[in-house]
Amino acid sequence: MTNSKSEAKAPAKQKMTTWEKNQLFWGWLFIIPTMAGLIILNLYPIVNTIYQSMCKTGDFGKGNVFVGFANFSRMFGDSEVWQALINTIKYAIIEVPFSICFALVLAVLLNRKMVGRSAYRAIFFLPMIVAPAAVAMVWRWLYNSQFGLLNNLFGLKVEWISNPKIAWISIAVIGVWSILGYNIVLFISGLQEIPHDYYEAADIDGASGIQAFFNITVPLLSPTIFFVLITRVIGALQVFDLIYMVMDQSNKALPKVESLVYLFYRESFDFGDKGYGSTIVVLLLAVILVVTVFQMIGQKKWVHYE
Amino acid sequence: MKKRLISALMVSAMCLSLTACGGSGGDSSDGGSSGGSSSGALRVAIWDNNQQPGIQEICDLFTEETGIEVQVEVKEWDSYWTLLEAGASGGDMPDVFWMHANNSQIYMNNDMLLKLDDYIDKSDKIDMSKYLPQVTALYTYDDSYYAIPKDYDTIALWYNKTMFDEAQMEYPNENWTWDDMYEAAKKLTDKDAKKYGYAMNVTNDQDSYWNMIYSKGGYVLSEDHKTSGYDDAKTLEAMEFVGKLLTDVCPPASVMAETQTDILFESGTVAMITQGSWMVPAFKQNEYTAEHCDVAMLPYDKETGIRATICNGLGWAAAASTKRPDDCWKLIEWLGSEEMQFKQAELGVTMSAYEGTSDAWAGNTDLFDLTGHLAMAEESTVEGVENLIVEYPFTYNAVKWTSQCQKDLVPAWDDPSQMEDKCKEFAKTMNDIIASESK
Repeated sequence: MTNSKSEAKAPAKQKMTTWEKNQLFWGWLFIIPTMAGLIILNLYPIVNTIYQSMCKTGDFGKGNVFVGFANFSRMFGDSEVWQALINTIKYAIIEVPFSICFALVLAVLLNRKMVGRSAYRAIFFLPMIVAPAAVAMVWRWLYNSQFGLLNNLFGLKVEWISNPKIAWISIAVIGVWSILGYNIVLFISGLQEIPHDYYEAADIDGASGIQAFFNITVPLLSPTIFFVLITRVIGALQVFDLIYMVMDQSNKALPKVESLVYLFYRESFDFGDKGYGSTIVVLLLAVILVVTVFQMIGQKKWVHYE
Repeated sequence: MKKRLISALMVSAMCLSLTACGGSGGDSSDGGSSGGSSSGALRVAIWDNNQQPGIQEICDLFTEETGIEVQVEVKEWDSYWTLLEAGASGGDMPDVFWMHANNSQIYMNNDMLLKLDDYIDKSDKIDMSKYLPQVTALYTYDDSYYAIPKDYDTIALWYNKTMFDEAQMEYPNENWTWDDMYEAAKKLTDKDAKKYGYAMNVTNDQDSYWNMIYSKGGYVLSEDHKTSGYDDAKTLEAMEFVGKLLTDVCPPASVMAETQTDILFESGTVAMITQGSWMVPAFKQNEYTAEHCDVAMLPYDKETGIRATICNGLGWAAAASTKRPDDCWKLIEWLGSEEMQFKQAELGVTMSAYEGTSDAWAGNTDLFDLTGHLAMAEESTVEGVENLIVEYPFTYNAVKWTSQCQKDLVPAWDDPSQMEDKCKEFAKTMNDIIASESK
């Protein structure tokens, strides 16, 4: 990789050969669809959102007035936003580690030769195929304190989604359950890249299964774990649909569960204040950036690339 | 060889996607350039699944008559407004759609709706004086009409006959006061058996506590649509009564937040709910309510002698940006015509806004005695009682303060002893919101 790059740079001022022109043309042609998608669907909205966060937005996107940092100073004094930030982080702290640990263990188990292996894999992957709204509706009924399956099956009287102390955990459990299958698939593909020789050698040296797991599987799988970690942290910080579908607006636990994206949705679309809504997502963007940068720095300590 | 194959595949995939883009682009530009002609279906958007079959039937008749295709799309209430607003901002609204008092002002003010004055003047089918004036008023702005009234609704007291029979109590009737209702609900409440006298849908102000506020002499919004009435003494009195209902005869607030009140009613858990006339198709279809339930007028207040119902009505509006305004008008004219307004009532879709259609609606089912809903909007037959029809309270952007209200009063639903404080607090917030409305 590095070689070809330096070669390409050195003769940059000289005329390109036909072959190089060809390369350039086809290279650009192939990335244009992706580039166009990124610019139209990602970059432009990001810039526009940041601009809107400094505006008092008019109705139907007409007549935006630039107000500088007024929205931000309002946000810094808004305790609801900070509560939502705490809620979001609490959700991520449950969802990310649990979904990764469970998925890792299950992936190792599902990677062995066993009867009905593909059936199990399909079952664990099912929640990924189901529409998130449907998942949320089913869990909402499971959790229902009067008629729900959970309470009636075990004779409990727990207000799973109305008690402010546990509602956020209940929501995170749904999150873990629905993402598990996706993580398992990624981990299985990572596991299949690990050469079998290592395990045979460890076996001859007398290592137990657990020792092999921690000393061979985890280090060699660390690039995949890192990828899953980064994407899941970002995904968890953006949680919205579960909360929106499961919690009614009159639910007293909502202030202790609502996430930043939930607040963004309510401000932008219920209250029609797109400017303040944008300010909230800009905060979320900053949080995600900082967290991701720290993860990128931290990875040097524990991720082993071959 | 393998590489070649892969690149060949990629190129063909790319070509495919390019032609697909081109294809769809061509389609939409076709639709655009042919605007005005009768090709393609008119897009109609509504939010109520229960009304979809009836509206579809009326639209099919329109297609038979004029040859203009109509495509009816149903969206959930919340996403309906999100999508309509996005469509309005991006210039891609449905052609014909429902309007609601909560939103009509902001849409009319920003020229998002097609002005109908000229069409109405030329039409021999539409005479605006034939519709319920409370509904027409909601869609009039600067003396111009922006929607043809579709329906109106009243709130009434739905009750479970079987639960009343078992307790050997008389059914709710037009002579009941709110106190009678409270006493009956209390007798029917057995918290251990999870049976309750009443359930209140606190996220729907219109079919629950607003009616009590007006009945007890309070108000939600001042007559000039400028100040909040949530801190009015009479309103607070009414809200205290609401708190009493919530504490003594309703399921816990968390139960009502987890399970919608109409589902609690349909499952025989609560004996009474206050519901709007738009729920009739749903209660007709539900086997349990069809067999066990009926409807009566809302109670009145003993001191004021007022029986109040919020009266709202939807309007059929068209997008100002539509490419086919004349076709849109033809459809709206059809939907608002005397004949189709009767049809809507007969099918039991909703009560129609056109005068004289009420008997047709009352006869749409023999499962319930629907006169309770109709009598709410008529002259009182009980001596010393006045029937008050309250026009739906609206401001420039009523969604903003109604949504805020739903959020701010949550602690009070859970713990009604905070009711007075929370209402007073909210009154201030509401005044601020109204003052900050753009126009």
